[in-house]
Amino acid sequence: MQPESYVAHHYPNLRQQEHAARLGMWLFLATEILLFAGLFTGYSVYRFLYAETFAQASEHLSVAAGTINTVVLITSSLSVALAHHLVQHGRGKAAALSLLVTLGFALVFLAIKAWEWTHDFHEGLLPGRFFTNAELTSTGAPMFFTVYFLMTGLHGLHVVIGMTVLAILMVLCWRGAYDHGYTTPVELGGMYWHLVDLIWIFLYPLLYLI
Amino acid sequence: MTTLPRNSTSEHDRMEHAGAGRYWIVWALLLLGTLVTLLLSRVHLPSPFHLLVALFIACAKSALVVLFFMHLWDHGGANRLVFATSLIFVVLLIGLIVLDNASRFALTNPGHGRTLDMEPPGPDILTPRGPPEPAARPPSGPEMQPEPGAPVRPPGR
Repeated sequence: MQPESYVAHHYPNLRQQEHAARLGMWLFLATEILLFAGLFTGYSVYRFLYAETFAQASEHLSVAAGTINTVVLITSSLSVALAHHLVQHGRGKAAALSLLVTLGFALVFLAIKAWEWTHDFHEGLLPGRFFTNAELTSTGAPMFFTVYFLMTGLHGLHVVIGMTVLAILMVLCWRGAYDHGYTTPVELGGMYWHLVDLIWIFLYPLLYLI
Repeated sequence: MTTLPRNSTSEHDRMEHAGAGRYWIVWALLLLGTLVTLLLSRVHLPSPFHLLVALFIACAKSALVVLFFMHLWDHGGANRLVFATSLIFVVLLIGLIVLDNASRFALTNPGHGRTLDMEPPGPDILTPRGPPEPAARPPSGPEMQPEPGAPVRPPGR
């Protein structure tokens, strides 16, 4: 199939269609950034109000787990970028394998996150009035964990959504749907995954390395 | 693997010429940035610089992701405008709200150590004027605030 056969009737050519799709994706990503910005605002206000408490509470998180997760997400972003590169060169099956690697990294990320959360639950490091940890007594400590669970929770939800998108793209790549010069879906799905990576790049120093 | 003849009408030409090596370089730089953040977080820096250094490295890492993984380096125009606009609104949102908290009279911020020790200026407006009934008294806490619906007793009733 020629790339031209993918052009919808209201676009003069494939190039314009790709431009429009990409711009639409950037608009969507802008709303995602603003969604997270709300949580980052809450974080900033409470870190400003309870600076010392946030530093103490942050020490109850596992820096090792956070660092490993950062490396895992960065590497998964690389494999998505490589998948896009491969599919552009008509190597759909190789791209599908690259996306499979990404999904593997995403599962590792979620597994480490689950281990961290379980650990937090056992320590009583929970949001708001559920906070029962005995070592952290200063005002604002429950607020740190409210912010922590909201931010990592929303981010984790995005990881799951991104995994779903990438899994669908992986199957389509394997079947050779994008081997003929039309690769926009892989590019846009990849952009979503890079955004998930982008958010984590900020969450890591702000939550774990105070 | 067979190499397909390159269809040079594609818009992706510049990206394809750059090759996959660029992604590996970006990946290595991102790992380096993570390592530097981790190491610098162990160094004891004076108060604002700790946060500023962490944010600077995070911004540099994001710039790499946005420019090369998300191709903003190659795809300019409206895409860059949309992304830059969202960043401006993020900065406005966070900056102005924190500025509001920072510039307030401290007692109007939620209670924390310094606020609770501070004596309010002028007449004592925080102490209840009449003794509340024992049953209506909420469980004690240092930062107890009057409930929104609770009537303020006028003195001498």
